[in-house]
Amino acid sequence: MAAKKLSKEKVQEALQELTKFRLIAPAKSDEVVIFKQITDPGEAFLDYGNSTVPPKKVVFPQTETLFRFQRGNPELREKNVEEEGTTVIFGLRPCDARAMSIVDRLFSWDFEDPYYLKRRELTTLVGLACNEPPSINCFCTSLGGSPFGKEGLDILLTDMGDHYLVQALTEKGEKLQDILSAHLEDAPAEEEKKAEEMAAQAEGKIARSINTEGIPEKLPTLWEHELWKKASAACLGCGICTFLCPTCHCFDIQDEVEEMGEGRRARMWDSCMFSEYTLHASGHNPRPTRRERTRNRISHKYSYYPKRFEVIACVGCGRCINLCPVNIDILEILEQVVDAS
Amino acid sequence: MVEVEKLREIAREVISRDDVRQLIGYRQGTYGFRARPAFITSPEEVDQLIFSPACVNNLATYLTLEEKLPVPRGQEPDLRKVAVMVKGCDSRALVQQMEEKAYERDRIVVLGIPCTGVVDMDKVEERFPNVLSRGEIALEGDKFILSFDGRREEVPKEELLADKCKRCRYPTPLVYDQLLDQEVARFADDDYSDIVELEKRSAEEKWAYWEEKFSRCIRCYSCRNVCPMCYCEDCVLDRLNPQWMRRSVDLSENTAYHIARAYHLAGRCIQCGECQRVCPVEIPLMELNRKFYKDVEELYDYEPGTDAEAPPLLATFKVDDREDFIL
Repeated sequence: MAAKKLSKEKVQEALQELTKFRLIAPAKSDEVVIFKQITDPGEAFLDYGNSTVPPKKVVFPQTETLFRFQRGNPELREKNVEEEGTTVIFGLRPCDARAMSIVDRLFSWDFEDPYYLKRRELTTLVGLACNEPPSINCFCTSLGGSPFGKEGLDILLTDMGDHYLVQALTEKGEKLQDILSAHLEDAPAEEEKKAEEMAAQAEGKIARSINTEGIPEKLPTLWEHELWKKASAACLGCGICTFLCPTCHCFDIQDEVEEMGEGRRARMWDSCMFSEYTLHASGHNPRPTRRERTRNRISHKYSYYPKRFEVIACVGCGRCINLCPVNIDILEILEQVVDAS
Repeated sequence: MVEVEKLREIAREVISRDDVRQLIGYRQGTYGFRARPAFITSPEEVDQLIFSPACVNNLATYLTLEEKLPVPRGQEPDLRKVAVMVKGCDSRALVQQMEEKAYERDRIVVLGIPCTGVVDMDKVEERFPNVLSRGEIALEGDKFILSFDGRREEVPKEELLADKCKRCRYPTPLVYDQLLDQEVARFADDDYSDIVELEKRSAEEKWAYWEEKFSRCIRCYSCRNVCPMCYCEDCVLDRLNPQWMRRSVDLSENTAYHIARAYHLAGRCIQCGECQRVCPVEIPLMELNRKFYKDVEELYDYEPGTDAEAPPLLATFKVDDREDFIL
């Protein structure tokens, strides 16, 4: 499909068109940028670096009802994800889209997760390339991504100044492009080539990197290495690095009684950095300290996941580095892994 | 400002002592202007220690955060002391912890840092974005000096200073074994003007304000975990049977969480401001804590973390305690 252009003057009307779907876009809550459903196109805030909470929460909500139950009634009322309707996530960053394609492998592995997969099927991802890496701690290029990466996206938008270059990448993307056709014009000649040059420039501006070669194989050999004690010494055991990670996908399932005789089974994000995460009913905890938990976080992303799914479960978005209250830095830990003997 | 050489010399003496197993201080961070906690166990590691206005963390948290694992059969528990570097506000956390008998005074060695104020790292990064190389921040007179990438920038202290420092009553530690520099006189007082403004709002305005904040909470519990006063071994939030707080993340549970935490800190919060600093979604938690702090001071003339010999506020009763606010 030929590339199009979306004039910045027409962004509002294009978004208005998309509000006939469940439209999710970056928006401000006070000064914090989060993804949320918008009904007023004016709420969309596209001039942003990256969101604090990744858009994974749209396809994998922090809390979701699986089914409801009632005392004396053997019927379980299941959640119907279909009711959420067609969803468009507009303006997400390439790393966060790539993260979804990585997590898809888990949710469609030994058990096909109907909630997640249905939502993925209903969702079209309209990405926004990073002309400048949003953060000093971005390292997407070390993991096979790019500030202009297309993996996982249905449409890629590139900010060309007074307009966006619109490139449909999948069938879903082409459909959405058709829906928006009244607001689009033909892209100027040579524009895709120009975007490629901009991509190379943006990649060149990524300041941090890690050579991941050999890390997945090496990690299991460092089980008792002293680096884990040092890397975790300052850890507070909070959930920032995992909850704000676009590829972390652990969840807990709990029954909650809402009113007398009524309740729901719900699942919610869980974090391997919480002490309670591996706590057994006996009181025994196989990961008793933050050392084992930190080792698990890194090993899961960089060893267990690639062993099973052939891809590292990290996209280099830098959120865990930027937002850690005690400056625990995954790149520093990985460098120590590389150097360890 | 504390001289780094002097700090390291004292730290070297302390960590060389037979009765000290660990010294908790600060070291350079991995990027930009960040500093981070350092855990020193031998004299050779002392040279990584620093102190600067970038040393924002309250290290008192680590005294109660360490996991206590069962000692393997045949081994003795390591009962040696832990040494910790504290600024004025941080020292109040030690005082309050000891008031509550979290540990005995002789378990710790306190290296007090008379503090001339720390920066708000968000303000620094907004002013100088995308600095990767390890930069330094120093205070000279009434200016912060930022050195990075061969540049030297001067910024008036007021513009980068953390808000909590602007109303700090106790810049010099209230408990210490050694003071690393000359005492710093109180350079500001807390008039609670921010809280007075909040109190003027109607209930509807307050609710709209907090609804926006609490609805974006992701319950990462960084505010709880960083808090030096949140050290219950069995936190009410982690309890499953009975489950006092649901794991669901929604406005109702989030509100319950933050209100419960604020109440548990009434008469205990020592205003280090760490909860608000670490919150990834910028919930102004100190507004809740400061409201209680103000109430406690006005009602009982009590300031938490100022007198290790005094009993905790909620463990005292006086017949003339005010009760006119009780319905």
